Amino acid sequence: MSDAAGLLTRVARGDRAALHALYQLQSVRLFGVAMAILRDRDAAADALHDGFVKIARNAAQFDPARGAAEAWLGSVIRHAALDIARRRGREIPTDDAALGDTPVDAAQLDALATGEEQARLRECLARLPEKNRQGILLAFVHGLSHPQVAARLELPLGTVKAWIRRGLLALRECLA
Amino acid sequence: MSPQERDELAAEYVLGTLEAREAEAARALMVGDAGFAALVAEWERRLAPLLALAPPEAPPPGLWARIEATLSGAAPARAGWRFPWPVFGLGASAVAAGLAAFILLRPPTPGPLMTVLLTSQDQSAFLVEAERGEIRLAAVNPRGVEAGRVMQLWALPQGATAPTSLGLVPESGRLSVTPRGIRPEPGMLIEITLEPPGGSPTGRPTGPILFIGRLAAARGS
Repeated sequence: MSDAAGLLTRVARGDRAALHALYQLQSVRLFGVAMAILRDRDAAADALHDGFVKIARNAAQFDPARGAAEAWLGSVIRHAALDIARRRGREIPTDDAALGDTPVDAAQLDALATGEEQARLRECLARLPEKNRQGILLAFVHGLSHPQVAARLELPLGTVKAWIRRGLLALRECLA
Repeated sequence: MSPQERDELAAEYVLGTLEAREAEAARALMVGDAGFAALVAEWERRLAPLLALAPPEAPPPGLWARIEATLSGAAPARAGWRFPWPVFGLGASAVAAGLAAFILLRPPTPGPLMTVLLTSQDQSAFLVEAERGEIRLAAVNPRGVEAGRVMQLWALPQGATAPTSLGLVPESGRLSVTPRGIRPEPGMLIEITLEPPGGSPTGRPTGPILFIGRLAAARGS
């Protein structure tokens, strides 16, 4: 069991010191997850706040049999950030200059090659058509909505929705 | 929903592409449907490696103190937080609508279920009670909506993918309805949307959510 998993088990019993230790261990990584979506330090701090309050209250829902503690923590923070993005009217497509020219792309997938599961996902992503892969990465890592992905990839909204759905199906088959 | 549609909903929830209302519906489904929750967990596991693509960054100093203050029950000092009401147990669409809902926990059924819907804006606050199949809505401080629009009341049972209309909210803000086909139960979402005169032309909400609340399971009083 990882340090984070052990700490989460203690957090589930109401151990505040364990939560603080978990924060010290994970907050830099998790703040990065929120920043990739919100690109605004105040908003990302709100996401981390909301997420850690949820972690404190829902730690008992973490099930080690279903995945790593780091993944569970990342999921809680990512959904907290997505909620804030939705609240801020994410559905409106924007040029989104803050995203710059350097959203994650296939080249950065090398960062995934650090473990067996990561390597498998990287292989499966590499098999997808370029724009399907980009759509999935823009949505997952940067929290872009369907209309925002469509604007960024300069594709019709319906096409983007269909490609993302098809890409997810292909990923599921490939990872099975 | 077919098994295929359920899996697609789980996948898009995890990917983050669902809109606020859809994400809220997916969360409601996760609470009441263990099979769907397992599909979501499976997708979280599949895509989790992508979390590594976000560059790490140090959070601002003082954030831990703010988290601890919230957990200790102190007033949360929230940067940029626009709504002065605390929010319990509600997801994105509730906050997106600029409201907070207080869910009053009541003893287990057959006692009544109840939720109070409040906003931070100059809009009506509503009391929703549900008992023996009947849902009663009452505005605590009736206020109109913008000209040419009406408020429509909806219920979304757990496991349902689309809300059922409970009717238009009259100017008095009072409405009693015993819907056919659905029965009030803990976890059911109650929401009010802003619609064109005569109500939604599609049979599904088309306007913004003004209020939303969840009838909650009792945990004793």
